[in-house]
Amino acid sequence: MDFEFTVDGVRQTISLDRKDDRISIRHGDKTLEAEVRVISKQAVSLLVGGRSFQVIVARDKDKKYVWLNGRTYLIQRGKEEQRLAERGDDRAQKGNSVVTAPMPGKVVKVNVSENEAVRKNQTLAVVEAMKMENEIKSPLEGFVKKIYVSPGDLVDSEKPLLEIEPKA
Amino acid sequence: MFKKILVSNRGEIACRIIRACREMGIASLAVYSEADRAGLHVQLADEAACIGPPPAVESYLNMDRIIETARTSGAEAIHPGYGFLAENSEFARRCERAGIVFIGPNSRALDLVGDKIRARQAMEKSGIPIIPGMKHVAADFAEYAVEARKIGYPVMIKASAGGGGKGMRIVCSEEELRPGLESGQREAKSAFGDESVYLEKYIEDPRHVEFQLLADNYGHIVHLFERECSIQRRHQKIVEETPSQALTPELRRKMGETARKVLEVAEYNNAGTVEFLLDRNKKFYFLEVNARLQVEHPVTELTTGVDLVQQQIRIAAGEKLSLKQENLAQRGHAIECRIYAEDPSNNFLPSSGKILFLREPNGPGVRHDGGIYGGWEVPIYYDPILAKLIVWAETRESACARMAAALDDYVILGISTTIPFLKEVISHPRFREGETTTGFIKNNFDNWRQKEGPAEGLTLALAAAALEELSASQRVEKAAGLDKEVYSPWQMLGRWRIGEKP
Repeated sequence: MDFEFTVDGVRQTISLDRKDDRISIRHGDKTLEAEVRVISKQAVSLLVGGRSFQVIVARDKDKKYVWLNGRTYLIQRGKEEQRLAERGDDRAQKGNSVVTAPMPGKVVKVNVSENEAVRKNQTLAVVEAMKMENEIKSPLEGFVKKIYVSPGDLVDSEKPLLEIEPKA
Repeated sequence: MFKKILVSNRGEIACRIIRACREMGIASLAVYSEADRAGLHVQLADEAACIGPPPAVESYLNMDRIIETARTSGAEAIHPGYGFLAENSEFARRCERAGIVFIGPNSRALDLVGDKIRARQAMEKSGIPIIPGMKHVAADFAEYAVEARKIGYPVMIKASAGGGGKGMRIVCSEEELRPGLESGQREAKSAFGDESVYLEKYIEDPRHVEFQLLADNYGHIVHLFERECSIQRRHQKIVEETPSQALTPELRRKMGETARKVLEVAEYNNAGTVEFLLDRNKKFYFLEVNARLQVEHPVTELTTGVDLVQQQIRIAAGEKLSLKQENLAQRGHAIECRIYAEDPSNNFLPSSGKILFLREPNGPGVRHDGGIYGGWEVPIYYDPILAKLIVWAETRESACARMAAALDDYVILGISTTIPFLKEVISHPRFREGETTTGFIKNNFDNWRQKEGPAEGLTLALAAAALEELSASQRVEKAAGLDKEVYSPWQMLGRWRIGEKP
């Protein structure tokens, strides 16, 4: 059976075949044989050629967090572009750069106004979360095309704050 | 001894204090904001009372409400933990007036040390070395600019009411001064309700070494040695240890004596920490007094065998300190890692959300002070500290190895945490050599990204994700169908059963 995931923006295809408590895993040109033992609702033990791997999986909608021997992988279902489109994010198509809130918080200050010229790394706005102020910097040199928020607004993670048009 | 204590804090430190109360046979009363009804401290305490809406100013900083809650519920004392009202002299005074014991220093000592500027003046007068810089708040921007020029760039902006790195900014040129001051003042205002800031000389790449002290109400003061807290990001400590690699027995004795003198000058009682900066030439400067229980207090507890929270409660209840300086000794080595809800690969931005899964490490010499559990939603309103992982071992080398293994064993899924970052800090050759300064993170971990893991790891993780996917689709079928079997996400491929022999 084939599955498609996205990890760190890279598409990954994997296929599984099961025979009793053994699975064959095909990932790209690699094949692995693993013996599987269910430990609990979220934990599973894999033995691969005698080497032991403890795996814990937790799921939140389309995101799966997989912990494996001390390392956490964030694995998302489907394709990156598709997920961006679903969120109404058109970053990929436009020349303009949409600056988004890096975390949920409160806008405490907008330092620029529309049509203002900005330098790369210039502070555009300040968002407070968990009592820390975080300066939102311009990713590029250009002009402020649009401002979507004002001071006092509560914003969610990845909510557009401003749009910067790159310098021609 | 008190019969009931109100714990006016949340998260891991509230849990720590509640446990101390329980061991001492004292009833604990937790207070919580509307965002914290499901908080671990509420569940752990003997009693709990809601004190207002989520924003801290309306709940954990609401003095009237907290004192009123203590009064109506018959709590004789309030333990403030750290942050929030812990170093607020106004709160201590109101407690004193209401006949409730504030578990911390007296309000006059708090007034003095809480006002970083007055503290600098008083300490300088008593011959204690301070960092060169302002000893007053400027009237306007022009005056700050003049002072900054006098001190010489780079300068450090500090909140007079400060602590925890809030309001602090390094300013390298006059151009940066105005935005730095504005932002520092705003942050100070929001964190402490006081926007006063001052400037001092920025000391390049120092070590941060602090001394833990206990002072009873009768003038008896002991120090419980140092903690080195040089590993910081955004001026906030993330790794602390004791003993410090930088101190010789002679320097330790000298700094310990100076720290005791600082508390004498301030007429201080209860637990306190005297912070010093130690420059490259092993010259030390008084930084400030942290007039509270410190986040990093466990490393001192593990190496001295003294329970600092219980000592605080005993001192507040009027007991005489039974500890004597000559009987105190450091044994072994302890390290603490702070586990924050932050994304270390994205400039340590706070992350919030639900903890989907939690497994705390354990084993010999491993202590976990946490305020979290699997299924808990991390609120956005408060400091992003989740828990502290502390290890003890006979030597620094084995403590490092123990910490690395414990971090490897620590599972928090659903939110970003500092765990993967801390693993690399602990394993870094410079850290292993004890070459720790406040510039360590910036110098060695700028723009940090987690290294690629072994290729096989990704393959197996994807396989596990695929297995979970299958089980999820089966869950839908089960919900629609007649299958009454106990659900297990791993049963997707047919006839596997838990415990079945291969």
